[in-house]
Amino acid sequence: MPKVISIHSYRGGTGKSNFTANLATTVALQGNRVGVVDTDVPSPGIHNIFGLEPEQTHKTLNNYLWGESSIDETAYDVSANVGIDGDGKLYLVPSSVKADDIARILKDGYDVKLMNDGFRSLVKALQLDYLFIDTHPGLSKETFLSIAISHVLILILRPDKQDYQGTAVTIDVARQLKVRKMLLAINKAHSKLNLAALKQKVEETYTETVAGVFPLSEDVVQLASEGVFCVKYPEHHVSQEFQKVAQQITEA
Amino acid sequence: MSNIGDLQSLASSITAVTSPFRNYLNDLYEKYRVLNDGVVADYIPELALSKPEWFGICAVTAEGQVFEVGDCSQLFTIQSISKAFVFGLALEDHGREYVNSKVSVEPTGEAFNAIVLDESTNRPYNPMVNAGAIATADLIKGQNGTERLKRVLEMFKRYTGREHDINVPVFLSEKATGYRNRAMAYLMLNFGMVSDKIDETLDLYFQQCSVMVNARDLAMLSATLANGGVNPVTQERALDERYVQDVISVMLTCGMYDASGEWAYRVGMPAKSGVGGGILAVVPGKLGIGTFSPPLDAKGNSVRGIKVCEDISQDFGLHLFNVAPGDRNLADWIAGGEGVDDW
Repeated sequence: MPKVISIHSYRGGTGKSNFTANLATTVALQGNRVGVVDTDVPSPGIHNIFGLEPEQTHKTLNNYLWGESSIDETAYDVSANVGIDGDGKLYLVPSSVKADDIARILKDGYDVKLMNDGFRSLVKALQLDYLFIDTHPGLSKETFLSIAISHVLILILRPDKQDYQGTAVTIDVARQLKVRKMLLAINKAHSKLNLAALKQKVEETYTETVAGVFPLSEDVVQLASEGVFCVKYPEHHVSQEFQKVAQQITEA
Repeated sequence: MSNIGDLQSLASSITAVTSPFRNYLNDLYEKYRVLNDGVVADYIPELALSKPEWFGICAVTAEGQVFEVGDCSQLFTIQSISKAFVFGLALEDHGREYVNSKVSVEPTGEAFNAIVLDESTNRPYNPMVNAGAIATADLIKGQNGTERLKRVLEMFKRYTGREHDINVPVFLSEKATGYRNRAMAYLMLNFGMVSDKIDETLDLYFQQCSVMVNARDLAMLSATLANGGVNPVTQERALDERYVQDVISVMLTCGMYDASGEWAYRVGMPAKSGVGGGILAVVPGKLGIGTFSPPLDAKGNSVRGIKVCEDISQDFGLHLFNVAPGDRNLADWIAGGEGVDDW
C-alpha cells in the first residue's frame, strides 16, 4: 500500500521545503518510487531544490486544479537532476510561480475534492510507493486536507515560542482530523542547545514522537537551495539525521 | 472554547472528502465515467438538452455525513422519482386504507405508461406507474392547484433541506404533449377512481415531475427515508414514520419500472428512477444514495446509475436480504482508519 506523507509547519520559514526535498530524496535513493507535490500554491519554491526551472514546467498543479490537464501531465521526473540512479525515481508536481496564476488561484479558489482525487490518481498513474506533500504554512482548507489524507504527518518546528504555540494548535487540528501517525521534527536548533534534552522536552510537552532534531547548519544555508543537501553531502550529520527520519517513515 | 463547533464541522467536511468511502465512490465514478451506453430521453425537447457526460454520485449516511463525487450540483427534473414521495404525502393526507382503495400496490410488469387498470377493482396497479401516480396526485389536499403544488414543494424541502423550483419549460412541454396521461386520467374518472378536477390534478402531476433537483438532493431524499423519515442533517421530519415502510416497499417492488423484479433480485436496495437521469436507492437505517447520469437504457433507467448501485450493493453486501458479510464493511469505510485499504 502506498504511503502519503505531509510535511507541515504552523509558521513560515521553518525549512519545510528543504526538509521535504531531503527526506523525499533520501527515500527515493533507497530504491523507492517517490512523488512530491508542491501544494504551497501561494508561495511555491521546492522546484528550485530539484533543479526544475519554471521555463521547463509548461503544466503545473494549477492547470490540474483548473481542469486543464490530468495530474500525471503535471509531474516531472527530476531523478537525474538530483542525482538518483538505480531503481529509485523522484517526480515533482510543481505549483506555478507566475503571478497571474497565483492570483487566479487566490481569487477563484478551487475544489479541495480535486486535490484529494489528484493525489490518488498521481499515486496510481506513476505507481508511487511514497507521496510527499509540501504545504503552505498555517491552517487552511488545503492543510486540513493534506493532514486528513496522510498516513504520516510531519510537523516541523523551531525552538521558538511562536512555533511552540502554533504547533500546539496544529496538533489539536490533526487529532480532530484523526491523523493516523504524527511525527515532530525540530529544525534550526541553535548549536549551544542540548539537543537530547530539547527532544525530550518537546516530546513531553506534546506527547508525540520527535523523529529528528536538526541543528542550525551553515552548510545547508550555503547550498542556498541549489540542489539537495543529502545527495551532495551524504556523510554530513544533517544527512544522517534525514536517514533516521526516513527509516521511521518507511517502517511506519 | 467557543469555536470548537466550527473546527469540528470543518474537520468533518474534510474527512468526508478524504474518507475511504468517498475514495471508493470516486473510483466508481472513474470506472463508469467512460461507459457510454444508453440514450438521453428526448420525448420532449427540454430533456434532450441534458449532456450525456453529466455524472454525479452522492451518498448520505443516516447520521448525515455527505459524500459527493462528480456533478452533484447539476440540476435536472426529478420526473418519476417524485411519485414515491407524493405517495407518502397522500398517505399522510388520507391514511393507508383510503389510499389503497384508490391505488393498488401490485407490480405490473408493464411499461410505466401502460393504460391498464386492475380489472376487478378498477384501481391503477401501483403509485409508481403513471396511472397510479396521477390517481395519487389527485389525493393531495389543498384548496386549489396553487396550494396543492405549494404543499408538494414544501414536502420536498423537508426531505432535502432546501427550496425547490419547477422547471417551467419542462412542465409546459409535458402538459402540452401529455395526451396519454390525460387519456388515463379520464379513463380513471370514468371508473370513479379520481375526482373530476382532472386538469388541476394533471397540472400537479406534471409539476411534481418538473421539480428541479440534483444528485445531492436525491441522496438526501433517500437518506431521509433510510433515517425513518427524518432528514439526518436538518433533523426535520419529512414523513410520518408509520408510512416510511409503505414508500420504501413500493419502491422495492415497483420503483425501477418494469425492471423492478430483476433489480430487487440483483441489487436489493429499494430504489426509484426517473427519465431525467436520476436514481435514488435506500439502505434502510444506513444510507441514502443518489446518482445522476442522463443516458437511459431501454427500460428508462440511467445506465451508469444502475452500475453504481449494483457495485455498491455487491461490494458492501447491502442487498436487503443479504446475511453474508460483504467484502467491505460500510461502517469501517465511512469511518476510515487502520485496516481499510482504499488504495
